[in-house]
Amino acid sequence: MNQILVAEGVTKRFSPSLSLGDRIAGVLGAHVDKRAVHAVTDVSLSVTAGETLGLVGESGCGKSTLGRMLAGIMPPTEGRVLVSGTAPMRGRHKATTRIQTVFQDPFASLNPRMRIGDSIAEGPVTHGLTSRADAPRMVADWLARVGLDPAFAARFPHQFSGGQRQRVAIARALAMQPDVLVCDEPVASLDVSIQAQILNLFLDLRRDLGLTCLFISHDLSVVRHVSDRVAIMYLGRIVEAGSAAKVYASPRHPYTQGLLDSVPKLRLSIDDVADFKPIAGELPSPLSPPSGCAFHPRCPKATALCRAERPALTAREDGTLVACHHA
Amino acid sequence: MSASPLLEVRDLRTHFFTRAGVVKAVEGVSFSLEKGEILGLVGESGSGKSVTGFSLIGLVDPPGRIASGSIKFEGRELVGLPPAEMRALRGKRIAMVFQDPAATLNPVLSIGQQMTLAVQAHGRASDAAARDLAARTLTRVGIPDAAARLDAYPHEFSGGMRQRVAIATALLHGPDLIIADEPTTALDVSIQAQILAEMKSLAKETGTALVWISHDLATVSSLADRVLVMYAGRIVEAGAVGETLRAPRHPYTRGLLDSLPAMARPGEKLNQIPGTTPSLLSLPPGCPFAPRCPRADAVCATDPPDVVTASRLVRCHHPLEAA
Repeated sequence: MNQILVAEGVTKRFSPSLSLGDRIAGVLGAHVDKRAVHAVTDVSLSVTAGETLGLVGESGCGKSTLGRMLAGIMPPTEGRVLVSGTAPMRGRHKATTRIQTVFQDPFASLNPRMRIGDSIAEGPVTHGLTSRADAPRMVADWLARVGLDPAFAARFPHQFSGGQRQRVAIARALAMQPDVLVCDEPVASLDVSIQAQILNLFLDLRRDLGLTCLFISHDLSVVRHVSDRVAIMYLGRIVEAGSAAKVYASPRHPYTQGLLDSVPKLRLSIDDVADFKPIAGELPSPLSPPSGCAFHPRCPKATALCRAERPALTAREDGTLVACHHA
Repeated sequence: MSASPLLEVRDLRTHFFTRAGVVKAVEGVSFSLEKGEILGLVGESGSGKSVTGFSLIGLVDPPGRIASGSIKFEGRELVGLPPAEMRALRGKRIAMVFQDPAATLNPVLSIGQQMTLAVQAHGRASDAAARDLAARTLTRVGIPDAAARLDAYPHEFSGGMRQRVAIATALLHGPDLIIADEPTTALDVSIQAQILAEMKSLAKETGTALVWISHDLATVSSLADRVLVMYAGRIVEAGAVGETLRAPRHPYTRGLLDSLPAMARPGEKLNQIPGTTPSLLSLPPGCPFAPRCPRADAVCATDPPDVVTASRLVRCHHPLEAA
């Protein structure tokens, strides 16, 4: 199959930048804390053309960092990324227009002093995808496609509501005619009714344009709704990956099970007893991940093996990948 | 049920007198709350749910003020109560938990110091007794090794633990009513589930009534006994939580439920509500939801709907059929 987006053994470590004093102290033999944050460790994945992969996890699990490396915004410490067969970065700079990103907060990602028409046209004109003369028509066309009045091109970001700004951000990303769209929590800051509108827009555009997507979110029901396949991350690694229908219906990894049990369900009758089965404990620090399986301190199934040895991510009979000794 | 409820709110109007005009954030809200009851207050941004919460505890800041209406707590009128008397109630009988615990805890005081202050604000207690009470309360909300953690500062706690500290502070005096404004919104799902489970059992054990303000219908449905749905400063529907969410009668409640991805089949289009929430500065003369409502007609545009009360409160000219 046509693999549009590929990651092979991608790792990102953030090392502390040492002050001059610390470096001198280190040279003189004093103890200096040089522990790196292991944000993402050895992640391999691929997304085929027209597919949407959902990336799920709680804060600090590395999902956004992974998304940034895949989008060519941040270079991996180890491993490599391929977008449509080529590396998205040259050195520290993005070297492709084939992958574009929609971020959580459209207010932070749109220049407040630029008219949104100019924001949308800037990329395509710079990269020669559109001539300057054609730009206004292209902008009007994209605004209409995301459900905004083309006359809004002359407005500034502060004149829009949150939902409308997210529509502008989507138009700006798609105007670059990317093969792959990375959406990092695109609906997390929106009200429920506006969130539904943006999700519907996303589903329409994906179908009409045949988009390949990486959809990053902490919201399990949103990810289920838009994804063909999902990957669950915990402390920088993928712990379970497979078809969304299978993973949600019969999660194998104890973390996935706990996460799905934690989501409050709509309780629609008295008999429908709300019982919470929260995962015990809290996320360990990525500065010093636990030995063996990173989930073992919180896992109800953990044994001595889990404390000693990290389980590999292996394929099960139905094709789901799971990293667990006991699943 | 007792003759007089713990809390009785009648026709509450909280308005903000801004230079651009009068923002009617809360416009004619009435409800009551029994001892030990959990009430879910649901709505989107700008629906007035938080301002309703702030009004109950007397924390509406200028240019806002309670324009009219009555809030009776155990039969005692809170609207117009002198500030000193309100302060004596606040934190002792009525407590509040906010969305962002990082903003409610004092960063330069240890947890023990600020909880001791909270204890001593409402009565004499030695430092040792206050610390002891603080440690016991922290243990109750699931903070391990609480006595040792008293000397830690807020930044040494995770977000979930900080919210537990905020909840423990609210519980110190065994209040009769806790108002919780989106207390789990900033937390991860696994931590949210822990806190929901604890709040539910605490309310059961202590008989504390809870007003749970949230935009999340699923959280409210798993926690609350009754739900109030707010839109543009008004209660549009209220009733028992399971019944109301299973068979909503107001088109807005129906629309909110249909907007949830969990209510649709994966990949199918969601049954969205068109448009956006109206500006509270220029509300239409009739039903504020009419411009977005699939059932609206000429009457809705001109006449504000009255409340239809049976077992359920619905403010609509054309409510959906009862199930």
